[in-house]
Amino acid sequence: MAVLEISQLKKTYPGGELALKGVDVSVEAQEVVVLLGLSGSGKSTLLRCVNRLVEPDSGTIVLDGVDITAQDKRTLRRTRCSMGMIFQEFNLIDRLTVLENVLSGTLGTTSTLRGIFRAFRQEDIQRALALCERVGIIDHIRKRADQLSGGQRQRVGIARALMQYPKILLVDEPTSALDPKIGREVMDLLTEVARELKIPMLVSVHDIFLAKNYSDRIVGLQGGEKIFDQETRSIETEELDQIYHEAG
Amino acid sequence: MTDMVVTGNPLRDPKKIARKYFAVALFAVLVIYIADTIIIEGTDWERMGSLEEVVKTMLFFLPDFSFFPQTVVPLLETVLIAFWGTALAVVFSMPIAYLAARNITPLPWLTYPLGRCMIVLSRSTHEIIFALIYISALGLGPLPGILALASRSLGFMAKTTSEAIENVKKGPIEAMEAVGANRTTIFFFGVMPQIFPIFVGNAIFQLDINIRRASILGLVGGGGIGLMFAEVMQNLQYDRAGMIVVGITAMVVFGEFVSNRVRQRLV
Repeated sequence: MAVLEISQLKKTYPGGELALKGVDVSVEAQEVVVLLGLSGSGKSTLLRCVNRLVEPDSGTIVLDGVDITAQDKRTLRRTRCSMGMIFQEFNLIDRLTVLENVLSGTLGTTSTLRGIFRAFRQEDIQRALALCERVGIIDHIRKRADQLSGGQRQRVGIARALMQYPKILLVDEPTSALDPKIGREVMDLLTEVARELKIPMLVSVHDIFLAKNYSDRIVGLQGGEKIFDQETRSIETEELDQIYHEAG
Repeated sequence: MTDMVVTGNPLRDPKKIARKYFAVALFAVLVIYIADTIIIEGTDWERMGSLEEVVKTMLFFLPDFSFFPQTVVPLLETVLIAFWGTALAVVFSMPIAYLAARNITPLPWLTYPLGRCMIVLSRSTHEIIFALIYISALGLGPLPGILALASRSLGFMAKTTSEAIENVKKGPIEAMEAVGANRTTIFFFGVMPQIFPIFVGNAIFQLDINIRRASILGLVGGGGIGLMFAEVMQNLQYDRAGMIVVGITAMVVFGEFVSNRVRQRLV
């Protein structure tokens, strides 16, 4: 059974811009699915609809058999705890330390009082340290997040998402703010940990090379519509090139 | 001038030049007229007497340094009034800033105008007026002075803080929403770290200004060095008044020095 099942998702922004025109995407257990498309194709909107940072207009999103589109705010917060998100611009808290940034991934399951005083549970700290070790930032845990390089910052973002024991990782253009070499390192790391921890991923990407090399399946988006959905093994580069052509 | 005009330089349009000179002349006449009515007419020159007498009067204010020990306690009291006034303003400005920041205010149609109203009320009232209100309610002494300074600083702190909140980067807030944090923890992780340097910088700035403000609060009965200044002036002890002025100046300069150092460290 699919971990994540998105069907007939529609979204129009207040300005009248039609971002998603009824898209179906599903992610199986331990599968890496890439959303491939140009900017404006709706891939970021789609990802943000999954944890409802953006409210979809209609359609359903079923995570682990639970429809989250109908959840109230409280339940939604609990659902968000089990979905890790990784951002293009990292979205770290610049003035806090690396370790605190990683620990902020537990805020959904930490009491408000502990959160305010940053008094994290001992077992969370242990886990955070282990994750920092795994993603290769253990030497920097006491540094402020804004002192790190781009690649290191994205590793902090990955560790923060993994802190959540996520059922799925939502990854929005993880390498767009990085140079190509660092970007590949980050993608290597991301797919490795996802496999190790058996976490499926939904990754948005605009680069065909990254899409082909790091995915099990590619979903092509253009102008808010799905134009293909195939296993990466069986797909030809020419087919992928479609995303660069304007919709007829 | 007229020769230049004949050359037809477009930058020297004779009409414009004439208008400009006319405006300057009008302004000069106005200044002279004002000076004549409020300085020359309005001053009692007879009473002032000769230049020699003026100098002699001013010499009354030569500081009496033997009075210094008695000024120490009121000066410290003034610093403490400024400190407590600022501290209260800092604490109470936070909830008001929360209400008055358009992006996080809980009920935009109600709490936003409420917060803004409090800010305007605080900023549009002079600290002396606040002091007079609190003195009539609480009697003389440092407490009404502290409350007066707090009321005055409150608006400034709340305004600058709410503007800082309105300008925070959205990314960290989005990330905290995505991990399932609630409103309170989103504020403490997504917003607070971003506004912290601005907030602390402004608090120190207010402390600096409040030391100045505190030194005159005593004139209306708000405690501190101003009270002592009012007393010695009434007793015609001008040398002591001179000493107090020196003391206030030293205190203000010291306060500015410290606040500059701290702010530099912060940036």
